[in-house]
Amino acid sequence: MNTFLKYSSSALLLGLGLAGCQPEMHSPKYDQGTADFSKYIAVGNSLTAGFSDGGLYLEGQVNSYPKILSEQFARVGGGAFPQAYFSDAQSNGSGYLRLVGFTSPAPPDEPSPITANVTTGLAVRGVVNTRTNPLQPVYTRVGATETYNNYGVPGIRMADVETAGYGNVASTGGTILNPTPIFNPYFERLLPASTNDTYRQRVVAANPTFFTYWLGNNDVLGYATSGGVSGITPTTTFTDLNSRFLDDLTARGAKGVVATIPDVTTIPFFTTVGPTFRRSLTRKTVPGVVITTGGFSLTGPIARRSIATTDIKDPALGGNQLFTLTAAPYLPLVGLPGGKAWRDVYAQLRPNFPPTITLGLFLTSQGIDTLQAFGVSGGNPIPTTLVLDDTEQGVARTATTEFNNALRSKAGAKGLAVFDSNTFFSGVAQTGFVTNGVTNTASFITGNLFSLDGVHPTPRGYAVIANEMIKAINAQYGASIPFVNPNAYRGVRIP
Amino acid sequence: MNLKQLLLAGGALLGTTVAQAGGFQVTLAGQKNNGMGGVGTGLALDQASMFYNPGALAMVRERGVQVGVNATMARQVFRSQYAQYNSFDRQLDNTVTTPFNVYAGFGPTEGKWRAGIAVYTPFGSKLDYGYNWEGRFSLTEIDLKSVFVQPTVSYAITDKLSVGAGLVVFAYGAVNLQRDIPVQNATDGQFGHIELDGKADQKIGYNVGIYYKPLDKVSIGLSYRSQIDAQVKGGDVTFSNLPNSAVVASRFTASKFDVTLPLPATANLGIGVMPSEKLTIGFDVNYAQWSKYEKLEFTFDQPVNGSTSSASVRDYKNSFTFRLGGQYQVTDAFTVRAGGSFDQSPVKDGYVTPETPDANRLGATAGLSYKFGEHFGVDLSTQFVSLKKRTQTQAELEANGTTDRVAGTYKTNIVIPGIGLNYTF
Repeated sequence: MNTFLKYSSSALLLGLGLAGCQPEMHSPKYDQGTADFSKYIAVGNSLTAGFSDGGLYLEGQVNSYPKILSEQFARVGGGAFPQAYFSDAQSNGSGYLRLVGFTSPAPPDEPSPITANVTTGLAVRGVVNTRTNPLQPVYTRVGATETYNNYGVPGIRMADVETAGYGNVASTGGTILNPTPIFNPYFERLLPASTNDTYRQRVVAANPTFFTYWLGNNDVLGYATSGGVSGITPTTTFTDLNSRFLDDLTARGAKGVVATIPDVTTIPFFTTVGPTFRRSLTRKTVPGVVITTGGFSLTGPIARRSIATTDIKDPALGGNQLFTLTAAPYLPLVGLPGGKAWRDVYAQLRPNFPPTITLGLFLTSQGIDTLQAFGVSGGNPIPTTLVLDDTEQGVARTATTEFNNALRSKAGAKGLAVFDSNTFFSGVAQTGFVTNGVTNTASFITGNLFSLDGVHPTPRGYAVIANEMIKAINAQYGASIPFVNPNAYRGVRIP
Repeated sequence: MNLKQLLLAGGALLGTTVAQAGGFQVTLAGQKNNGMGGVGTGLALDQASMFYNPGALAMVRERGVQVGVNATMARQVFRSQYAQYNSFDRQLDNTVTTPFNVYAGFGPTEGKWRAGIAVYTPFGSKLDYGYNWEGRFSLTEIDLKSVFVQPTVSYAITDKLSVGAGLVVFAYGAVNLQRDIPVQNATDGQFGHIELDGKADQKIGYNVGIYYKPLDKVSIGLSYRSQIDAQVKGGDVTFSNLPNSAVVASRFTASKFDVTLPLPATANLGIGVMPSEKLTIGFDVNYAQWSKYEKLEFTFDQPVNGSTSSASVRDYKNSFTFRLGGQYQVTDAFTVRAGGSFDQSPVKDGYVTPETPDANRLGATAGLSYKFGEHFGVDLSTQFVSLKKRTQTQAELEANGTTDRVAGTYKTNIVIPGIGLNYTF
């Protein structure tokens, strides 16, 4: 009996002792490799600023990919990463879109999302009359002593990086006949008043040890989202500006990662409305629609083009022509007489016209008769601003390819890491992208990656971008920076 | 049905949608065997032969009743390849399960036959990954229960050769699997959640064996346990935290689910050696036909995220387990045991799921028995099972088409103390 107790008690102790032994995995060592993250500066446009849902606001800033990166860099010697945050009282910044619900049309018509503008808690300090916008908002400035490492400026193009006065409200654009640069309100809010410093000067003066550099999207995006109306930056200009900028940034030995420009034709802004429109036309046996194509001219009607219903792009059925997200309110009007679409185009373009051009004159010059059926007659076509046709897509793609060649080749020459966002987002568009068991896609709202404007990522999308940049940095600089869990960042919240 | 099968199978039940407590290979059908690395096919130790080799039951000298219970304490850590905080490992919210076994064997004292009934719980697993873990969209919780009942007969053809067979009744099976749905509502930002809860249909299988003792000091056993398909029909589907909008709600209208899980057949070979009266050594090889487990597919009466079925690749492979163990009778009343096992994982690289975070296992066991007089005895055992650290990357998951699970590194240790009481006559 004694023996039994002795042995059994030791057996029990053994069991309990083992039960307490938690398995261990020795934590991997994180390492900066050959890079130095002590002063990280983010160079770029709206994507870098954290722009989302059609606006720049505090939540987007907090979840910007540079902010996410900086938190990971902090594990390998990265320093603080202040940003030019909007205050809590003005946390809605420029205002943004929120999803309030969905339409509930009688089937077979499909529900579509309803968004609304957030108009309270803004950081708008006033408006300035510029050549293109008589009511251009300007935003609350960062404090005089405030520092920031995120130089993301929504709207900036490569073409703008050496433009003097780009952050000065005095740059209001001159006249239509004698245009001069117009200031960027998002750059303006980062600067002291009345400075004519260029974007490049400000960035280089920050003297980073490491930078991310994602510029050039707007040099082609503006063309695409306007349906081929706005211009594209000439490739030689782009190449030269890019080359000088990267030379300047790396002159003191800074390392960094350069991102390429994605193919804009795969973003939800261009892929969401078309398939629904096509199904609707097919049900009503409408064989095709009439659009205008190319830019506007006051000297004569712009070209008409007939688009067969079967040529409207649907990933499952084929077709080539893309309709913009902004076309959604107008497409239900197809087949009915009316001038809403063209009135809105006029309102949008008016700042570009001499004041003598009235709506009537404009419509006459374009050969528009709003009494004809909208969208199906040559007299009342769908405005080019709502369509990116295959010709325009080709132009955008060619420019994108040329810009990316310039970015890659200069990055290569400087020994910088490259995040090929073009390849990455093409893959997302084709097969989706899985994050910890969740399949994300390039679909509007349900895809998790793109926000309500159909162009800019959600916090989830930005987290994915941060991970991809970390991959590129780890590979180029022999670093081992840990990834984030993208699922910890929101997609689109649905009411 | 051995424990491993049940545990692994249970894990599988959760599948894309659920979790597991045990790809934990622990063979806990007999308390004496538990102390000997799980050997038993080639031995005639006690009434637990009904499980290990029904053919050996006729050679078990005593008749008797025995009960055993074990506490499976698994400790698991996980580090995601894509984690928010990489400075610590994620630990499972630990739960203890208590598999039990009951055997009653009877027959004439000098007769050639024995009969008995066995009740065992091949798996009773519970795994709770806790809120917010990286694999929450694969699995958050799993709770599996099962009870098997096996009436058994065994007949000694000669004093060296006996055969036996048992009717395996899958008497009770219950599963509860939960995971989050990657849709966030605008009200409070919570992710949707799905819970699958169901009871398995009763099923029948068999367990047959043959036992041969060519020499005084050597015995050989062969046994085969058939495949049983664990089948849940009409289990309950419950959603929570989903957005209210009709466009979303209309994609999640399921209320019932069906699922079938193959619990594969196992062939077992065992050899026993008795160099002296007091020393018994056993060696077992188990071969489980896991390749039947190709996918875990749930079907729903109405859509779940727009689809009435959800399939997740498993593609398990057949696997061997090797066991070695022995016992030594120190005094008439007191016996000590030790053993070890090596268990090949049926889960291929890049196919590991949260409900069965399996890997090759090494086990070490110890045990002892004490007899209080003629009829009554106590068996104690403890097992320590270490699952090899196992890593799968997102690139592997993509290559295998298994991205419904999470990339990272798993490491698990299991400790299983157990106690058995037996009364022989």
